Formats: sequence, C-alpha cells, structure tokens
Amino acid sequence: MSEAVKKEQPNVSVPTVTFTIDGQSVTVPKGTTVLQAARDIGIHIPTFCWHPQLKSVGACRMCYVEVEKMPKLMVSCMLDAMEGMVVYTNSDQVRQGRKAVIEFILINHPLDCPTCDKGGECDLQNLTFAHGFDDSRYDFKKYRFKEDDMTTTFDDKKIGPEIMLNRNRCILCYKCVRANKNAFGEYDLGAFERGNITQIDAVPGGEVNNPFSGNLVEICPVGALTNSDWRYKIRVWLTQTTPSICNFTSSGTNCTFYKEDHQNKIFRVTSRENESIDNGWIPDITRYGYQIINSPDRLQTPLIRKDGKQVKATWDEAIDYIAKKYTEIKESVGGVCIGGLISPSLDNRSLYSFSKMIRTVCKSNNIDFRGDYRMLPSSPDSPFGVLRSQPFSISAIDDSDVIVSFGSDLIHEHPNEYLRIRKAYNNTNPKIYSIMPYAVKSADVANIEYVYNPGTDESAVNAICLAAIEENVVDSALANDYLKKVLPSTLKDAVALCGLDEKDLRVLARSIADGKNITFLIGEIVTRSKSRDAISAALLNMNKLFGISSKGQISILARYANSKGAEKLGLLPDPIAPIKEILKKNFNGYPESEPRNTDEMMAHIRKEEIKGLFVFGSNPMMLYPDKEFIKESLDKLDFLVACDLFETETTESADVVLPLSGWAEYEGDYINLESICQTAKQAVKPNTDSKPAFEIIRLIAEKLEKSNFDSESLDKELADCLAVNTVIQFPDDFIEMKPQTEEIIDEYTLPIFIIDDAHHSGYLTEKSPSLNNFSAEAYLMMSEELAAKNNMKNGDSIRVESIVSKVILPVKISQSLDSDVLLVPRNFQSSPVTSLFMRKRRVDRVKISKVDA
Amino acid sequence: MILTERSITKIKEKAVRYPRKKSAILPALTVAYRQVGHVDEEIYKEISKIIDVPMVEIAEAATFYTMFPKKPRGKYLLQVCNNISCALRGSDSMIQHLENKLDIKLGETTADNKFSLIAVECLGSCSTAPMVQVNLDYHENLDAQKLDTLIDDLKAKKD
Amino acid sequence: MHYSPVITNADIAAKDENLHLFQYVEDPKQCEIDTFVSRGGYKAWKKVLDSISREDLIETIKKSGLRGRGGAGFPTGLKWSFVPKDSPKARYLCCNADESEPGTCKDRVIMERDPHSIIEGMAIGSYAIGCHLMFIYIRGEFTHCIEKMEKAMEEAYAKGHLGKNIYGSGYDLDMIVHTGGGAYICGEETALLNSIEGERGQSRMRPPFPAIEGLYACPTIVNNVESLAAVPHIINRGAEWYASLGTEKSKGTKLFSLSGHVNRPGNFEVPLGFNLKDMIYSPDYGGGMLGDVPLKGVIPGGASTPMLLPDMIDVALDYESLQEKDSMLGSGAIIVFNENTCIVWVIKKLIHFFRHESCGKCTPCREGTGWLEQMINRIEAGQGQTGDLEKIEEVCGNILGRTICPLGDAAVMPIQSALRLYRDEWQYHIDHKKCMVKSNFEFK
Ligand SMILES: Cc1cc2nc3c(=O)[nH]c(=O)nc-3n(C[C@H](O)[C@H](O)[C@H](O)COP(=O)(O)O)c2cc1C
Ligand code: SF4
Ligand code: FES
Repeated sequence: MSEAVKKEQPNVSVPTVTFTIDGQSVTVPKGTTVLQAARDIGIHIPTFCWHPQLKSVGACRMCYVEVEKMPKLMVSCMLDAMEGMVVYTNSDQVRQGRKAVIEFILINHPLDCPTCDKGGECDLQNLTFAHGFDDSRYDFKKYRFKEDDMTTTFDDKKIGPEIMLNRNRCILCYKCVRANKNAFGEYDLGAFERGNITQIDAVPGGEVNNPFSGNLVEICPVGALTNSDWRYKIRVWLTQTTPSICNFTSSGTNCTFYKEDHQNKIFRVTSRENESIDNGWIPDITRYGYQIINSPDRLQTPLIRKDGKQVKATWDEAIDYIAKKYTEIKESVGGVCIGGLISPSLDNRSLYSFSKMIRTVCKSNNIDFRGDYRMLPSSPDSPFGVLRSQPFSISAIDDSDVIVSFGSDLIHEHPNEYLRIRKAYNNTNPKIYSIMPYAVKSADVANIEYVYNPGTDESAVNAICLAAIEENVVDSALANDYLKKVLPSTLKDAVALCGLDEKDLRVLARSIADGKNITFLIGEIVTRSKSRDAISAALLNMNKLFGISSKGQISILARYANSKGAEKLGLLPDPIAPIKEILKKNFNGYPESEPRNTDEMMAHIRKEEIKGLFVFGSNPMMLYPDKEFIKESLDKLDFLVACDLFETETTESADVVLPLSGWAEYEGDYINLESICQTAKQAVKPNTDSKPAFEIIRLIAEKLEKSNFDSESLDKELADCLAVNTVIQFPDDFIEMKPQTEEIIDEYTLPIFIIDDAHHSGYLTEKSPSLNNFSAEAYLMMSEELAAKNNMKNGDSIRVESIVSKVILPVKISQSLDSDVLLVPRNFQSSPVTSLFMRKRRVDRVKISKVDA
Repeated sequence: MILTERSITKIKEKAVRYPRKKSAILPALTVAYRQVGHVDEEIYKEISKIIDVPMVEIAEAATFYTMFPKKPRGKYLLQVCNNISCALRGSDSMIQHLENKLDIKLGETTADNKFSLIAVECLGSCSTAPMVQVNLDYHENLDAQKLDTLIDDLKAKKD
Repeated sequence: MHYSPVITNADIAAKDENLHLFQYVEDPKQCEIDTFVSRGGYKAWKKVLDSISREDLIETIKKSGLRGRGGAGFPTGLKWSFVPKDSPKARYLCCNADESEPGTCKDRVIMERDPHSIIEGMAIGSYAIGCHLMFIYIRGEFTHCIEKMEKAMEEAYAKGHLGKNIYGSGYDLDMIVHTGGGAYICGEETALLNSIEGERGQSRMRPPFPAIEGLYACPTIVNNVESLAAVPHIINRGAEWYASLGTEKSKGTKLFSLSGHVNRPGNFEVPLGFNLKDMIYSPDYGGGMLGDVPLKGVIPGGASTPMLLPDMIDVALDYESLQEKDSMLGSGAIIVFNENTCIVWVIKKLIHFFRHESCGKCTPCREGTGWLEQMINRIEAGQGQTGDLEKIEEVCGNILGRTICPLGDAAVMPIQSALRLYRDEWQYHIDHKKCMVKSNFEFK
C-alpha cells in the first residue's frame, strides 16, 4: 500500500493533533511537522534545505513561520505540530525573516543567472523574485572561490564524470551531501572547511561517480551542481516534458523526458516521483540512458544481405524479402522450422504481436524472451517458475521488519529496491540480511552479510533451515518432515559445505522465524544459474518451513523493464495454462509443436531443424553464456532477421537487419516487477527510419496476408492476458533435494561471475556517452587481497582464461569484495566476456595471469 | 604507510573504546597530527583503513577543525592568541615583535623551516595573557624578555 | 609538573571552607589520587553508590540550587531529571571541557590542578542518569589538561573508582577522554555531541533535546566542568549547605576568570552575588586597573555577553543582577578594558572570532557574521560610511534569535550592546574616519 493511500485513511489508533495554519484548522498525526501539514493543505512554505526524503536539519532558515505565544520565528521543517498551536506562514514578521535569509544567501552569490543552467528552475531565483529585496545592500567584494585563477570567470569544477560544481553558487543547504550519504549510502562527496568558506567537493583525490549521482544535481536548489549532459545546451523554458518510465530497471522508474519539438531531440531526463516505486530518486542509468535514442550510431535504414554484404534497403524491400525468404523456407523445409527471440524490455504490444506472429504465422512454440540465462528450464511451474511468479511490492519494504536479499547484487540489479531498503534502514531500522556468493556493496545496510562458497547456493539455504530447526524456532512437525523428506543432515554438515558461520546462521534463522512482516527477495545469482531449479526448490522448502509467504513476500525479482509483461503475454515457450487458454482463444488455436527455449532453439538450429530465426531487440551473442556456441548456431541458420537500435554482433550475422525504435519514440506499456502496468509516452518522433517492433511485425504479417495485427486488435487481445493472475501456488509438500556438485578442472579455480556495471544495463547503454563517462570498458573486478596476492594493481592487463576461451581485461579493485572471486561486466561489446562462460557449468572458473608489458 | 606502528596501535586502542567506529576520527587525527605535524590526503586514507570509516568522513571532520593543517609547517609552530583578552595585553604588538625577530610575516615559515608563526583564537589563557603556544606547550604571562629568551633557546636547540 | 602560571585566590579558599572548588588547587599533590582521597576525595562517590537512590540524588542536586556553569545557568538537577527513566537505550554523560569562550580560563585550572574532583562529579552525575560510559570533551589545545585528566582517569581505574563493579556495588562505569580539534562551536552541547560522534562539529536543532536524544541518539547529559566539580561537595556537605552560599536565586560559588586591564588577572572563586567592582578593584582580586588608567567598560560573562559601562559595575555577580543590567553572567569571564581601548577595535576582535568559529550550518550566522565583520573592519579602518551603523543593527537583528544554536546570538549581543552604550564613539569613527582612542597595547 502506498503512503498516499495510508494518509487518506488515518489509522484510528494514531494520535492526532489539531491546530491552526493561517486560520485553517488542520488535524494531522502526532509528529507531523508544521511544514508537512501546511503542504498537505496546499500552503506552500518556501524551503532550501528541506527534502521530503531526508531528515530535516533546519539549516537554511527559509521555512520560518510565526507561532502565537512563541517569541521567535520558528523553522517549520523541524517544528512538530502541537495541539492548539496557531501558526502564520505569511505574516509581516515571517516575510521579513525570509527576506533576510535571501539577503544573507545572496551576499556572496555571483548572481550569474544569465549563464546558469539552473535558470528558470532555480529555487533561489524564484524565491528571490518572490521574497527578496530588489537591490543589494552588500557593498563588499564577494567571496570568490578560484578567484586567483584568471583563466576562468566561473568556478567550474568537474567533480565527477557528469557533475560540475560551482562553489560560488552553492548556498550550503547540504542536501547533496546528506542525500548522498543517507539516501544512497555513498561516500564520494563531502562538505569541507567550515563557516562561510565551507565548500562542497568530491572526496579528496576522488570523484563523484556513484550510480545515483545524477540525483544530486537534481536536488541542488541552485546551479551549484549541474550535469555536463545538460549544461549550455538549452534553456529549460524552451523544452517540453513528457512523462515516461525507465527502460533499464525492472521497477519502471518514473521519469520525465525534456525534449525540444523543433529539433525532435531529447535533452535530459529527470525524476518524476512515484512514491510507491521510486521516492523521487532515479539511478543514473535512468537519467542518462535516454542518450542512446540520440546516438549517431543508430541503425538508419533496413539492411539486406546481398552477395554476403549488408546493403541499404527500403522498408518495402526488406519486408518483401523477409516474406519471400520465409515462404521459401516454410515450403522447402516444412514443419516447425522458425523460431523467435525477443527482448523483455520491449512494450506489451510488441511482445504480444511477436508471440502472435510466431504462434499463428510460424505455428511454432520456438519462442523465448530470455536470451541471457543459461540452460533455461521450460516448464513454467518448475520451482523456479513458482518463485518467479510470486507477487512483490516495493513499498511493502517500508513496513518490513525483516528484509533478506538472497543472491542479488542489489545496486546493480535493482537500484530502486536498494534505495528503498536503505530508506527502511534509516527510518524504521528493520533487520536486514544479505546472502551472496560474494560480498557486495549493497550489504552496507545489512546487519549481517552472509557470503557462501560459490556454487553452494542450496547448501546455504539448507543451512538456514537447519539452523532454524536446531534453534527450535519453527514448527516441530514441519521440522521433522523437513529432516525426513528434504535433508537428514545437521547444521554442521551444511555449514561445512557452504562455508557460512554457524552462529550467524542461527541469528538469521531466528530473525526470519520471529519476523512479522518479511521481505525476502531473490536475485540474478539464482536466475542466471544453471541450477536455478535446485536453488529454488531449496528456497521453496525454506518458505514452507518458515511460512515466509504467509507473513510477507518472497519472490525472485524480474530483471528487465517488461519481464513480467513477457511472462504474462505468452513469450515463454510454454506459458502457464490460463495464459495458454487465452492465447488459444485469441489465436483461434494454438501450435502443437514442442515448446523450445533459447538453449533448445540453438540446439535445434545446429541440428538444422530450425532454419529461420527472428531476433527482436536482443543480442544473444553478447548476453548468452558460451558466445562461440551461439555464434556457431546462428551461422548455421538459413535466414536470420535481426531487429535492433544498433549494429550488434547478432545483426552482423543477419540476413535482414531492421532499425528498431527506442522506447522514447513511441507510446508503450510495460509491466514492472510489481506487475503494475505503466505507460511510457512518446517523447519524440523516431529519429531514424526506424519503427517499433509491433509495427514491423504488422508489416510482415500483412505481407503474409495475415490480419488483426493492428494496434487496436492487439490491445484488445492482450488485455485478457494481463488480467490473468499468473501467481503459481506454492507446492504443498517439501521438495526432495538432490546433491549437486561440480568438479573443478585443473588450474581453473577462480570463480567468476557476470555482473552489470553499476552504470550500464544489458548491451544498449554502451551507446550513452554520459554513462560511458562513468565506465566505458570491461574490467576484471577483484578484491584488494586477491590483487595483492597476484601482485596486480588497478589497471594492470590481465589474461583471463577459462577452459573455452580467454580475454584480456584491466584490473579494477573493489572495496566491497573480500573473497577470491572475479566479477566481469557484460555490457561492453569491445570485450565479449560471455565467451569465457559455459552454458553447462554452474559456476565458471578461470585462471588469471598478468600480461607482460 | 606514513603512520608508524606505534601510532596505529594507539589509534586502534582508542578506537575500540567507543561505541561507534566514527567516533575514532578525532582521536585518530590527533594521533596522526602529533606524529606527522600535518594531516593530508594520504593520512586521511590511512586513517580510513585503520578505523574502517569512509575517507570522506575523515576529510570532512579534519578540515572542520583548525588543528589539523594540510601542509607541513615549521619545526616550531608559534601560535599567538590574538583574541580580546590577549589583545588587551598587547598580543598585536607581540606578533609584530615576533615578525621582526624571525623576519617573517604572520602565516609564514622561516627559510630554515624552523619556525612558523600564526595567530589563533582564544586558547584559554586569558588571565595569563599574552601567550604563545609552541607546538603543544603553553608559554604565558609573556613579556619581551621572556619571549626573546624562549625564541633564542629554541633557535639554539639542535635537532 | 606543568601548571599554568595563573593567579588564583586559593590562599583565601584554603581558609574558607565554603570555597570548595579552589580549596586545594595550589597544592601540586592534589592531582595525585592518594592526596585527593586523603582529603575526602571519592567519598561522595562511594556514598552515592552505597546508599543513595537515583531519585534522591537528583532531588539533592535540585535542592542545592546548582545551576550550570557553562554559560546558560540551567538548573543541573532539573536537567538530569529530564533523562527518561524507562528508555531502553544507553545513556551518556559528557563533561564539557571545551572552554573556548574568549575570556574564560577557569575549567582549565580545575583540570590541571584537581582532575579527580571532575571525575568524581562526572561519576555521580552518571549514576544519577544511569550512564555507564561517560566522556570528558577537552579542547585539543589543552595538552596539559589532557595529560592530567588521562593520568587521573588511569589512577581512578587502577584504584577501583571506575571500571566494573565499583566498590562492589555492581555498578559499572567507563570513561573516555575525548579531545577536540580546535573549534569553539564544539563547546555548544549539540555540536559537542556531533564532534564525539565523529561528525563535523555543527550544532543540531533542538528539539530533540540531548536529554532525550543526544549522543548516538541516546539520552545524554552535557555539563560543564565546574558544574560537575561542585557535585561531590554537595553530596558530602548537603544541599542545604550549598544552597546557603550565594544569593537567593543564584546559589553556591562560582569561578570567575578576570582578564584584561587589571593588575591581577586570574581565576577567583567567590560566592555568587560577589560585587563586580570589588572583583576588579579589591587587592585580593583584580587589584585595580592596570597602570591606573580609568575603566572604560567590562564584559562580564565571556565574549558573548553584553558590556557594562563603568557606572554599571557596582553590581552583584549573579544570574539575576546581571540580567537586570541587560547583560549575563555567562561563563563568568570578566574582561576589563581601560580608556585607551577603542570600542570598535574590541568589537572587531570579537566579531572576527565569531565569524571564524561559525560552524557554517545555518544561513544567518554563517553569512551574517561575515558581513558584520566586513562592516566593522571597514569602520575600524576609518572607511565607515553613513548608514553603516544602522545596517549593522539591522543585520544583527536578522541574526538574533534566528539561528540553530546560540552562537549567532553570542556574536551579535556584544555588538548590539557596544552600539547602544558607546554610540558616540562609533559615530566619531565614521565621521572622523579614525579612532577616538588608539588601542595600541604595548608589549614590553
Ligand atoms: C557557542 C557556544 C559555546 C559554548 N562553549 C561552552 C564551553 O566551552 N564550555 C561549556 O561548559 N559550555 C559551553 N557552552 C554551553 C553548552 O552548550 C552547555 O550549555 C553547557 O555545557 C551545559 O553545561 P552546564 O549546564 O553545566 O552549564 C557553549 C554554548 C555555546 C552556544
Ligand atoms: S551544492 Fe547545491 S545541493 Fe549541495 S549544498 Fe550547495 S546548494 Fe545545496
Ligand atoms: S527548510 Fe527549514 S530550515 Fe531549511
């Protein structure tokens, strides 16, 4: 339940106070500040240092109010409303007070509004206009940072890849530093010196480059912090805004696009607060990800392979060609010889029409949206499917007393959820635990961080269960059942396998057992694992033993902008029965053929049973483990149609390449990980000769003389799918566990994991110059100890060898990692790290050596 | 490492006594300053490791206080209180006296790096004014003769 | 053994049992625990642990009329009683030994010469609020005080006055000597707490008051050195005895630091209500004006208190009497200046201090003190302009009562008083572009 809803129906048991603001009587819960109460009834009290998501500090003194019987002006942001209080927000005294504050702030302010990018949306500018003097009484030379440097007229200091600081404009509201530390848990920005020469700056010797850094610019009430992205490009009043959502986070971060109509160009993205999802903070991927839309590298026109070379073509030619080739293959090979892969970041309409095309035109169940998970299971009600289908609410984190994150590098995978947990950490101080095969920064909010041996995920889960049984904190009948059906083992044995600390596990078991409102979220370590079903089974057993789902939520989180939509709209090879029912009805029948997932499709391509493949917005060559395997498979195809925003390794192999529109170029709906449907409005017209996927599919279908691929028909049909409750019931019984082990081969001993860089997501964001300013190439991340052991320094070139392949990567030392594991980001085409990984291994292992200069 | 084993041990001993890690920032800075004579980025970094607190917090605290200069100063730091009680007792002209004697201006360091002269706020020696703090030691109730002896003695001191 | 060469009235105190704070301060052995104990030290602490309940203890302090000696004069017992009795959180006691207010140098004398009396007072205060870890926050520059306090603390631990299960009572008490880094603002109680927490020493808004949410967000009491040092004596000799000293409303004795143009600057313990004029002129105290240059004015309670003209100094040194003169007792730092002193120059020194020490958190203090300093410097330099005085007054008005902590008030109150009391001299400065008198204090 969102807080907005909560406020409308105040809990009767919450004590309230009634008092008067400007003659209006208001009743608010005890503990509400006068400022908040005034805002709630639409009375605007000006502020600089107050922020709804931060603890008030009362620094700027702009929010003065006059209170009867109180001799001094009071700062309303820190004044709790009290019974019978009589408050004036606009008395003479209050106005005088504000005027004085503005005057103080302006004495050392450069008043360089004409060249300041904040102009037009600057709190100081606006409040000076509203409350200030029209002339300055300060007749001294203003204090200037960087005055001695005659080459610059402004104090322009680059303090981060995307942040410029102008200390002269800073009004020392300390919002940036407070947000950075408290809301984001980042320590790369600080306030230094004291008194009137206090200055905000990056940490000495460092820069502000955390994954939430763009928010600092947005909350700066003046032009002290600006981002390089937006500087000197356009004045804000010349732009128009469009509400949108992020295409790179699965929560569907709400944001606003700023575009200029005549140029048909997006200039920036800011937050668009949606309390239930994002609290007004957006990660940098959301903020700067839009730049891929403007990229000059966009595919401009369709391409057709002629004599081995891809040449430009018109849409008509391309569609004709696809229809012709398609018919040829169909006629010559027959049977179910076509498959389709699509990205779970595309909108509902596109996803649904893709499913419709593959299933009704190609009559095939060779369809999948998961181009990056190894060895996928195909059955939707597998243990993994069950956990994956469970509902999840972001705002429920606020009220959780126990929060467990299992197998998730939260900051990289789910930045909004991380911030939400952080908020709980700051406000209600729940018990937080992080369980991972390697240490992660997001565990900084955790009471205990559990790091188990890579590949022993089930043992780690079992150990929690056994700890609970030994601690006697779970139902004894269930405990006996568990010991009988699942694992007749002791905590000691489980601990020996997973390497966790027994005492810590007992603490965790107790907390989960005592928890009244639990959030248990599960991340990509499980989803990407070949053994995801075994781990999920262990988690389901745990859920049954503790009854977690009956007192909170437990779910494997969706990872992409529309993963949930893809599941609901039948993009799985074998959707759950109720979805299948609807598809059958909508499609007037349903293909009989075997359902085949990505992995199986590749196998059948190699067996030359699948001859043609449609790839829409996906790049399995870069994302799927075993790059060579995928490449060989794709090379075997007779016909490959690849549709994307950019040229990729996959489009390079294609016979027809079609330019795809980005999510900002058309209106689309997306289902977020909470199963909430949100709309990204069209911000600009397509920049290139590109089209949205559903439009392309309509053209192909119509060419093949199929109808009802128009938007109206699609929308009508897909609405039924969305209405289906896709939550799969938990199994009644415990699931038996089979021990899984994996041998270590020769000297390949170091476990290696794929991650997303904190400033990238998938393979597209590499086209955002701003995001590349944070990080533009792959690296080999390791702990300080491991680096020292191998005599490696930041930046050293390292040869990373797995059984199948080798790549050379520079070292990046991580402060949070502390065990002997390696991490590599999958986001950079220049270093296709997936070639190191194997589909059939659970934990990949490599050896490393320094490349001699 | 700039900090010696001894300093590190001292910092750790102090740190464990506090209920929270961050509280060890000031004690650590004090130990570091006493060993090194100034506290800069490198030392922030070392302290950050020793007490496990983000470096920015160390730097923020260090720059807030006046006792942790970022740059090295002379061997003897002469800190003359120039606040009201001392000023009423002639600290302004005592500063001039020192400037002449050492041939430097306020805020400067002698060429041989032996003396730095700065003016500071009240050092709590108001009833024994004027005064100068030389490194850690207070010298109070000064007159020209006492001050000259003090400086001459320091000058004569071999390292 | 280092001692500050400060003059005290210990010789009088040695003969007058009521002057308990200074009774033994001239004896170097008083620092040593055995001497301290032989003179009745730690007796009160033992008595408290043996036989006094927390409630009775607080009641006793309330009855004694002891008020905070750090500047605000808030009743100590009442402050202690604000600590919630049923809070499950830890509680802390912090002894404020930051002593940085210009003119004030009294706490230093106790730390240097009678450190155990502070520890004993802190211990009793800790017990009163249920604290098991107490801090003394000493300004970093006070190297010798720090050494003395640390040594005293070690002795106290060694002899079982601190540590686990003290005197077999089951009560545990630990102590930390925390040292500052050079910031006046850290004497302000909330900034002091931030400083102990490792934050920048900026003040916090109240409420929440430290007694409810202080150090590490736990109930915390901050008391001045002198306030705490008086506590054992109250326990030993009774609340009635203490209340019999001083005046009707200002009870007990107080340390005064006398500085500036007097013959005998020093620290003197006197009962509250002592006459200021006597303090300056009596041979046992200030011993009259230096070089017999006539008095021009007095700052009676530390740099942040409003000034008094010569015809106002026949006044009792207590909280109420000074208030009647529109000034304050403050920390008891009496700064005396003679007729050769330019008032603008005095204010220039003071505003420089407050500007330098502003923590930079709230706008009026951070920006206002800087502006005031520039205007006052300009006047002092003979470049004052018509309207400057009015502007200064207005800026002062925009700071007074508008800041998070009292530093803003402290910065403007002396200015306001100087403008009120010496208006002509300011005007002269502006009109004639020079001082009426030249403050050229020779250093010989
Ligand atoms: C700017 C400022 C500086 C202060 N400095 C000191 C100080 O150095 N020592 C002190 O004991 N109190 C100082 N105080 C007063 C403290 O805030 C606090 O009131 C006092 O320590 C409480 O102790 P008491 O009740 O025993 O007086 C200062 C207050 C302000 C506003
Ligand atoms: S940089 Fe902006 S947000 Fe940060 S303190 Fe200055 S004005 Fe506030
Ligand atoms: S908003 Fe209240 S003081 Fe800044």
